[in-house]
Amino acid sequence: MEGFVAKHVYDYQNGKISRRRLIEILTLAATTAYAGKRAGAAEQPGLDAALVNHVSYTCPDFRRAADWYSMVFNLDQVGATARDVALPFGKKGEKPYGVGADDVPLTHIICRTRPVDAPARNGPPRRQAKAVIDHICFTVADFDRERAKAQLNAAGVRNVRDGGPFSVYVNDPFGYEVQIAGLNVTAICGAEARATCSDNR
Amino acid sequence: MERFIADLVQSLDNGKIDRREFCRSVALAAAVYAAGDAAQAQVERGFKIIGINHLSYTCPDYAKARDWYASVLNMKSEAARDDGKRANLMFGPEPGKGGSFLVTRNPGSVASGSAGARAGVEAVIDHVCYTIANWDEARVRATLKAKGLDVTGRDGSLHVYDPFDYDVQIASAAEENAFRR
Repeated sequence: MEGFVAKHVYDYQNGKISRRRLIEILTLAATTAYAGKRAGAAEQPGLDAALVNHVSYTCPDFRRAADWYSMVFNLDQVGATARDVALPFGKKGEKPYGVGADDVPLTHIICRTRPVDAPARNGPPRRQAKAVIDHICFTVADFDRERAKAQLNAAGVRNVRDGGPFSVYVNDPFGYEVQIAGLNVTAICGAEARATCSDNR
Repeated sequence: MERFIADLVQSLDNGKIDRREFCRSVALAAAVYAAGDAAQAQVERGFKIIGINHLSYTCPDYAKARDWYASVLNMKSEAARDDGKRANLMFGPEPGKGGSFLVTRNPGSVASGSAGARAGVEAVIDHVCYTIANWDEARVRATLKAKGLDVTGRDGSLHVYDPFDYDVQIASAAEENAFRR
């Protein structure tokens, strides 16, 4: 702000703008800056997303999907119904990796077969989204890209391919794109992990 | 393996190989066999999953989505990874220690190796549910209402829509837990 004011005062003193124009500019700048701060101060803080609780994966045959995710990621299947089953990322009583809070459960996938506009419980039909989760990336322990590719190919997984130096992509039985990576693929280095990612993270 | 060793013994007996070469061949065969067995065992076991690394979310306006998730779920946008077409929004544990991120993308912004959003996929992730720790029903509902959102669902398990009508669920550990279904 100070630099902004100084520049316009300089222009005024050198005859580039009139006194009236200077006042207009500075008044507008001052009131805009104030309004911005006030709006920021008034903004309601959001909720802290602690972790993904679950992703709801809907497909033509939830049992087939569940068996595939169980095989590839060594996941148990719990709470099966005629329409869905849950696959938690660990055993009962385990805590999610890196989470300190006691009331954050293990993430799980719910594999489902139902219409895509099916309501949640007794709610209204789900709207047709104009956005899509086009792929999901799972973090796995001790990830090594070449070893992972060999394992996936040996298991008959479709379309195994590189995802940069530190991840692989595959397609699940319904063509959904799944990425597999290690802990060193982060928001900071990006999904297309660069060579620096493994150096210090 | 048995056949292989039998052939080696025959070669030894016939003087085609000496004792040293015989021993080396058997040792090598055993090592290869063990390695193959271990690799097969790993495939059968599957990977050890730690968590969701990221979700790739393609929408008509990545910045609008970025701002919404930052505002409603306090996700932190990593400025260095915002290229005007996509942004990385962090949440949960620290990056590299189990933290996750949501990538909001414009159409056409595709990760290296990814096919991106495409037709012909028979499956869809129709909603994502986020856990809120220290759940306080009144506070959560008031926060969502203050953001101008219509809230549906039941206590401890609420649904809202993001700006692109994507269903976002927000839940407590008590109401959404795989082992309590």
